[in-house]
Amino acid sequence: MTARRLLTRGNIGLALLVVVLLAMPNLASAFFVNFVLTQTMMLGVAAATIVFLARYGGMVSLAQFLLVGVAGFMFGNAAVEGGARGLNLGMNPWLAVVFAIVITTAVAFVLGALASRTTGLYFLMLTLVYAVIGFFVFAQIVELSGPGGITSIQRPDLMGPPVRLYYAGLVLSVLVYLGFKALGRATFGLTLQGVRDDPIRMASLGYNVPMHRTLAFTLAGFVAGLSGVLHVWWNGQIDPASIAIGPSLILLIMAVIGGISYFEGAWLGAFVYVLAFTYLRDLPLIDQIGITEARFNTVIGAVVLLIMVLSPEGLAGIAARVWRRVNKPASAAPTAPAGGPSSAA
Amino acid sequence: MTGLRRRATFALSLATGLALLTAGCGGDGDDTAGLPAEENVDEPADAGDDGDDGDEEAPDASTGDDSTVRLGILGQCEGPFGGFHEDVVGGTALAMVNHAGATVNSTTSALDGFSGAEVAGTPIELVGIGCGDDTPDRILQEVRRLVEQLDANVIIGPLSGDEGLAIAEYAKANPELTVLAGISGSQEQTLHVQAPNYFRFYGDGAIWNAGLGDILHNQEGWDTVAVIADDYSFGHTSAGGFIADFCAVGGDVTHRVFPPLGTTDYSSYIAQLPDPDEVDGYFWAVGGTGTQASLEAFVNAKGDLTGDQHAGNLFFNPDLAQALGTDIAGAYIGGFATLPGDVQTPAIEEYLASADDTWETLPGSLSGNEPAPPSVAAAFGFFYGYYTAGVALVEGLAAVDGDISDKDALHAAIGGLTLELPYGDISLDENRSGIVDVGLSQLAVNDDGEIVQETVAIVPGVDQTFGGTFSPDTPSPSRDFPECEERDLPWEGNAIPVVDGVPQQ
Repeated sequence: MTARRLLTRGNIGLALLVVVLLAMPNLASAFFVNFVLTQTMMLGVAAATIVFLARYGGMVSLAQFLLVGVAGFMFGNAAVEGGARGLNLGMNPWLAVVFAIVITTAVAFVLGALASRTTGLYFLMLTLVYAVIGFFVFAQIVELSGPGGITSIQRPDLMGPPVRLYYAGLVLSVLVYLGFKALGRATFGLTLQGVRDDPIRMASLGYNVPMHRTLAFTLAGFVAGLSGVLHVWWNGQIDPASIAIGPSLILLIMAVIGGISYFEGAWLGAFVYVLAFTYLRDLPLIDQIGITEARFNTVIGAVVLLIMVLSPEGLAGIAARVWRRVNKPASAAPTAPAGGPSSAA
Repeated sequence: MTGLRRRATFALSLATGLALLTAGCGGDGDDTAGLPAEENVDEPADAGDDGDDGDEEAPDASTGDDSTVRLGILGQCEGPFGGFHEDVVGGTALAMVNHAGATVNSTTSALDGFSGAEVAGTPIELVGIGCGDDTPDRILQEVRRLVEQLDANVIIGPLSGDEGLAIAEYAKANPELTVLAGISGSQEQTLHVQAPNYFRFYGDGAIWNAGLGDILHNQEGWDTVAVIADDYSFGHTSAGGFIADFCAVGGDVTHRVFPPLGTTDYSSYIAQLPDPDEVDGYFWAVGGTGTQASLEAFVNAKGDLTGDQHAGNLFFNPDLAQALGTDIAGAYIGGFATLPGDVQTPAIEEYLASADDTWETLPGSLSGNEPAPPSVAAAFGFFYGYYTAGVALVEGLAAVDGDISDKDALHAAIGGLTLELPYGDISLDENRSGIVDVGLSQLAVNDDGEIVQETVAIVPGVDQTFGGTFSPDTPSPSRDFPECEERDLPWEGNAIPVVDGVPQQ
């Protein structure tokens, strides 16, 4: 690939966006960076795994937040020493990261293998079952967590200042975004898309369909695990309620708001969600019309409903359409992706 | 999709996005002069910004220095205890009205806050009310919003057990912050976390059951008991206190059943309890929205609730547990932050009257969130816990003459307070948790045929160590801790009897 071919508008837009995001700690308040943007990065990575499975594999998963949680619980169990609950292994924090990611990936492989022969609604239901079982596993097995969860989880010294967590989230987001995009053009990604479109034909061509689905789920689990480690560093604690069905659904809602067939949509959806959660209640007169913080879920539900009706491809879909209209004279490529969240927000 | 519809969609999305972004920037537009995000988070209380948010209107231009107490209240507007949101905010507001000269902004809702509070020349400004949902993750997000966005330097709250643990850890990581717990009753938040800037001016779940086992075993003749409690830190603490007390005097706990908090169908958990002819009694520590549901499940599965065979913690009272029925007369109930309504002293009457003078009505939880006289909410522990925290803040400020620039001095002053409060004096132990008097009560039928609570005994001066049962070196109360074993407890046989609402000493 030549340098000239890399200079597409999308790539330039992405590069500009990354530059702006890198400069954000100097442009915006600490709270906006450390709370809004850091959460956006972490949740965006987790939501991107939903997009990856849906877009390439045709699998809509509700178990991704469970895998985020598995990584968090495993890191907590491994890294904490002398805590009130959990295994208290007292490992070196970086070794604990490896431990957490390995366990999460292994769990994802097993869960993926079990679900590999299901598709569509059945896959969705099965992953919903995973999420529910995961909640009870951590709530009931007191050796791993129990209802009180793992508290006092410290992040490694290298990640001490909160802004470094933001940068880590940003770097991970860029890597995951580029990685997932590149995977779509690699053999595995192309095969997976073939499996998505016509599994019977792919099987008759000699491809191992369940294995491809399993590996895709495992890869998504690995990435969700990375997000989970960041999340538990940021939050300092994790408990079963962290991975209950509510947060699992919210992650899917983020992907839907952003656009479940666009990788950009994962971060865009996460950004809009966190922005709404944080600032909606501050809008002037908003409480006068009954939208208090207690009604936040109603608002998010209405937003999702609106998006489902008006633009099933989510906000990124709207951005892509606008992008195509703006570039109509030169629009030879039918699915030029949006330049990222900046072009829509 | 037509062009018009497409444009409408785009315009709608753009408008929504812009509105949110505007709100976002409005909330943070202060720091654009190059303040690195790396700074001001570990020291949230005195981040060097000037004027924190555009949406909070004008008067907080002085934020960023230590001349103002910027107070954030952590409540719960959702979840099993969401009904107590008005109550808890009302508690702190009343403390500000009674002790700091504040006036409330609405006479029918505490959620509109208060204004004009000032102690020793230092104004107390309410910057925000956090909306928890009983999960630690959510309350952490809310406290971060209050502290890191709205620049709060004092927090009152939270409400519930697991939240208290999370907020105590947050306080420990942010030593410049001052946190006065609201009514969160788990033991671990003070006994184990030991954050030097986290204060609790009330008891914990275990303390509130001190003396109950003594009465049930020695007075009512219970030898065996089955315990059912919420499966989270407060449920464990509350059950742990009862178990320690009942076993200390020679009783035996045969079953421990822990349904998750917020369960809606309790039938499978009730099935795990023994039948009424297999055990002398049952102890209930199921709270929030589960109190009613669990009792109804018991009635359906095992028959009516009878006073000679049931006892419970603070949730087992006629206001919250409406499924009790009149057969329940005679059942014993653990204490809470306040005393039952039959105990009336001039201080209590004055306190309740001050609530009625402050608001016309309050939609508190005990009145089903319908407008009711404010004293109904004020007489119950959720309101009162937040009230004690507010009084502690005021008295702490007075002790340092309104100077909050030296946080160590402020924290030392608060830690050394002995509050003279309507329901009894409260001081703190070395872990900054309350040493309190516990009022035990019994259900009775009044002349109108209604179930009411009557105080039977007061156990004075109970602290968190529970006579040596608990310490920083013991595990936190859990499903299987404490074990059932006999031991000496300082209050065994020393409870002060109460007759017709009058303590006999």
